[in-house]
Parts: sequence; C-alpha cells; structure tokens
Amino acid sequence: MPMVSRWMYISLVILYSFLLGPFIIIFMASFGANATMAFPPQGFTLDWFANVFETSQFIDSFWISLQLALLSTIVSLVMGMPVAYALTRFQFAASGLVETVFSAPILVPGLVIGFAMLNFFVLLGDMHVMTGLFIGHTAILFPYSVRVISASLRNLDPYVEDAAVSLGANRLRGFLLVVLPNMQAGIAAAFVLGFITSFNNVPVSLFLSGPGVTTLPVSMLSYLEYYFDPTIAALSTLLVIFTVVLVQTAERVLGLSQFV
Amino acid sequence: MPYLEIHDLTVSYEKNQPTLERFSLNVEQGELLSLLGPSGCGKTTTLRGIAGFIRPDAGRIVINGRDYTHLPPNQRDIGLVFQSYALFPHLTVFNNVAFGLRMRRIPKKEIYSRVANALKMVGLEAFADRRPAQLSGGQQQRVALARATVIEPQVLLLDEPLSNLDAGLRVTMRQEIRRLQQQLGITTLYVTHDQVEAMTISDRVVVMNQGEIEQMGTPENIFSAPETVFVAEFMGFDNHFNAAVESVGDSKLTATWGGAPIQLRWHSRFGSPRPGARAEIFFRADNASLVAGTEASGLAGQVILHTFHGNELQYLVDTEVGEFSIMQDSDSERFEPGAAVTVQPHTQKWIAIIEETAARRQRKE
Repeated sequence: MPMVSRWMYISLVILYSFLLGPFIIIFMASFGANATMAFPPQGFTLDWFANVFETSQFIDSFWISLQLALLSTIVSLVMGMPVAYALTRFQFAASGLVETVFSAPILVPGLVIGFAMLNFFVLLGDMHVMTGLFIGHTAILFPYSVRVISASLRNLDPYVEDAAVSLGANRLRGFLLVVLPNMQAGIAAAFVLGFITSFNNVPVSLFLSGPGVTTLPVSMLSYLEYYFDPTIAALSTLLVIFTVVLVQTAERVLGLSQFV
Repeated sequence: MPYLEIHDLTVSYEKNQPTLERFSLNVEQGELLSLLGPSGCGKTTTLRGIAGFIRPDAGRIVINGRDYTHLPPNQRDIGLVFQSYALFPHLTVFNNVAFGLRMRRIPKKEIYSRVANALKMVGLEAFADRRPAQLSGGQQQRVALARATVIEPQVLLLDEPLSNLDAGLRVTMRQEIRRLQQQLGITTLYVTHDQVEAMTISDRVVVMNQGEIEQMGTPENIFSAPETVFVAEFMGFDNHFNAAVESVGDSKLTATWGGAPIQLRWHSRFGSPRPGARAEIFFRADNASLVAGTEASGLAGQVILHTFHGNELQYLVDTEVGEFSIMQDSDSERFEPGAAVTVQPHTQKWIAIIEETAARRQRKE
C-alpha cells in the first residue's frame, strides 16, 4: 500500500507537470517586460494585458467566437435532444448505424472536416463566412450533445414516462414534466462542453474563416505569424482563466463530471 | 357482472407470433386476482394491454361497463405500480403522489388532504419532503402504491411489485399491499412469478403459460388440486411418475404403488380416462413417509443421500418407478445413504393428471 501510493504520487506529479508546465511558463511569460517571449521572464509589466484589449483584431474575433460558440452550441443541443431521446428510448433496426454516423465528427480529424467544408460551402457553395462557420461548428458539436444528453437519459428509469401517462398526463406533458427536468443537468453539461469545444476550435475555423471574419484562436494563430511578443501569452492566460471559471462553475452547480 | 372484462385479447409484438391469442379473463369488483407464471408467459403483456400501453390486434377490454379498448392510456382510470417503482426522481414524495391529482385539475386544498391521507395510509407522512433517492426500497414501493391509489382508480395494476425487495421486506410489503387493497376495496390485478406471493395475497389466482390460462381458482384450489402438469410442476409438486390407470371412479382412480392399489384424486380435461390410460401422478416432498426395511407395505427403495433443512431432512430415494425427493421430520428415524426403505404414500394429498397431449393438440387445431 505505501509503495503503491508513493508510485502513484510520483506518477501524478509527473503527469501534472507535463499538463500544467507549459501553462505555468506561459503564465509567467505574460508578465515579462521583454519585447519577445522569454523564460524566465525579466521584470514585471501588465502592458501585454493592456495590449490584448487594444488590439482590435482580438476584440472583434472574441465577439465572433462568443456568438459562434453560443449559437452553434444551442442549435446542436436542440438537434441533439431528440436524437438522444430516440437512441435511448427506442430500439430500431438501424439504431447502431445511426449512433455511429452521429459520432463520426468526433472520429474524423478536424482538418479533414474543415477542408471538406471549405470545398463545399465556400468554394462550391459561395456561402457567407459566418454561415459556414456556424454550420461547421454545429456539426462538430452535435455528437457531443447527443452523447452527453444520452448519458443523462440512460440514468433515468424509462418507465417514469409510462408512470406519468398512467397518472393522466399525455405523452407531451409526460415528457415536459418528467423527462425534461431530469435532462436538465445533462443539457447544461452538454452546453458547457459544447461551448468550450467551439470556442477553442482551430482546425475547422481555420478553413472556414474569411476576410474580416475570424475566430479568436485563428486570429491568435495569425498574430503569432508576425509578432512574438508576450501579448499572446497574456491572452492565453486570460482564456485559461475564463475556461477554468466556466468549468468550475458548471461543476459546482451541476456536477458536470457525472456526464463527461 | 364482472368489473373488469377481457374478451379475446390478441397481442403480438412480432407479426404472426402472438404473445396473447384470444385471451379472456373476468375480474370481480374488489377482488385481488394474481396472474402467475414464468417470464414470457404473457402476464405483463396482459397488464400493459389493460393499461393501454400496448395496442391489441383484436379483442376488447371493458372496465365497469365502459369500453377501454381504444382509449388512450392517459384517459384510462388505472393505477399502475411498476417493478422499478418509476418514481419521479426530481420530485419530492409529496409531489410524486400529488402528480395524478394535479393532472386531474383537483383543487389545491383537496390535493393536500388527499396526498396527506394517502401518505398516512402507507406510513410515510413524515417523509413528504424527501426525494425518492433518499428512501429505502420498501419506502419507495410505498410511495409508488400511494401515487397509484390516491387517484382512486377503477383498477389497480401491480407488475411484480416486490421483486426488487429482499426476502424479509417482501413478506411485510405483501401484507401491506393486501391490507391497503382491502381497505380501499379496489379491484386489483397482481402480476408475479412467485407462487408463494400469489398464494398469500390473492382472492383468486390465474396460472398462465405461453399466453394461455392453465388454471384459475382460489389459492387453496391451485395449491392442492392442480389440473395440468404445468401447474403441478409450477406449484412445487417435486415428485412425479407415470403410471397405468387400473380402474376409474367418479372422484378417484386406482393405480399401483409397490404392488398394492392406491386410490387417487384425478383430473382430466379430456373426459373420464379409460382403464389402461397413462396418468402422471404428482406428490409433494412432504406427502410421503419413509419406514425402515422393505417388509412394510409400500414401495421399496434405497436412500441415495440426505440433506439437512433445520426442522426437516430431505432424502433422495431411488425406487423402481424413479427417484423421489422426500421430506421427513428431523426428529424421526434417520436413514443413511444406502439404507433400504419403504416409501408410504399420503394418497389423499396426491393427484393424478391425465394429459393426453395428442388430444390437446387436436383441440388447438
């Protein structure tokens, strides 16, 4: 027992230093006074954080990312709910196939999806940039919605609906009064997961961004091509804090880890 | 006139493979009737048909003179208790029980008093604000009962309500269900695969097999006078052997046991058997005695093994007509494996069943 726990302890330390090490470097570098990113940083300044808010490219793309993440998450939830319901409640001939098809966007590399959508939406379809981004993001979020909501439905006794109906509720009221309230936590979990996935997505956004319309991660990438000052480090620090706060709140309020 | 009538109900989940075929059953007002049978015998299908969750291919369901056959399930006045209880996990005990009354748009004040009353009946008045997850299995079962009965349904349907409880609690809960049912005088259909449960709780028992009624009667009747081989085996007649019928009277027939004639009650669905016909003779393990040696009258045999059961010893005895399992008081004389014994029948408890399978097959065609 002491041996096991010591080894586990050491492995945990190694694991977390791999995971958190780079972030700690970025975090410290974002306060450095050098004109290029350096570690260990020299001096201390908050100028880079100020610079983040003065760079209109970041502010614009932040709003685009936010709108995009909200919209595509909500739409993927609305589409995912009936699919999850059908997959967990009904046995039908092709239910295995349907499940596989719906989880395909998780399995196919994002670059492939992005490139395929570039071909169809932008080159062939001449689609508006924002519309293309919205469709692309909804597609990659959809399987997450289905999975997370399915998990919450599987925890619910399927007979509760019959019970509601036998007590006088019609099918719709039974769903609204009994099933939906018990899906709430799953829906919220899917929302947080979807939002973060969309907000952080690079590969699909990279292909579907267009002149003047670009998401925050993509604009960070292009900024990096021209500048190597710690502004990106400062922005990364802000984004990590944003994500941690979001996930922590969700975990506290909803018990997110039950579903993911 | 019966309160609940099922006429020629036919239900199939797959085409041309009906689970129920022309199934008919009548339940009297205030009666508790059990549907007893192994899994897949159609008992739960019958229940779900009455509740309206399964659309029958043919047949009619009538409750209290009203045709229920095409009524949607939420408009049927039926209380349903599920094997898994199916309580609403997000609602308190009070709101679980109040659900059916709210659907019926009953005034708030009345809901309050009726729910309080229902919870009092099942001894849960102190638990009104709990969530189902905070209750034990037995308590959840009580909530399910209160929720199904508070709407004062025409018929109460219980689907294996005790099978998720442990043995001790099962005994208490079945008394509880019986008491509640009699207090409310509610017509009840009780589905179970447990013969003891069906015996102890019911006014009448219907034994089902492969979508058909094997036998219907009082618990005493089913227990002591099974009419078919299936019922005899299902009701725990552990021993049986095949014998020739020597002669037949009105209520008894004569067969041979160890060279001497024995008189047995008989049952046949195919008219009086002729001498020479084959009968399947059934008896329970505690309906025979063992005596030492082979001089006494009875069937000679040899003890193969014995197992200890507290107040009783169970012997496995090999005879020329087959191996029998026989229970004896543990105070009585002990026999070791290999000992020669004579098996003496308690013929008044034995039963001979004539089941002419050929005749039966013809009847079905």
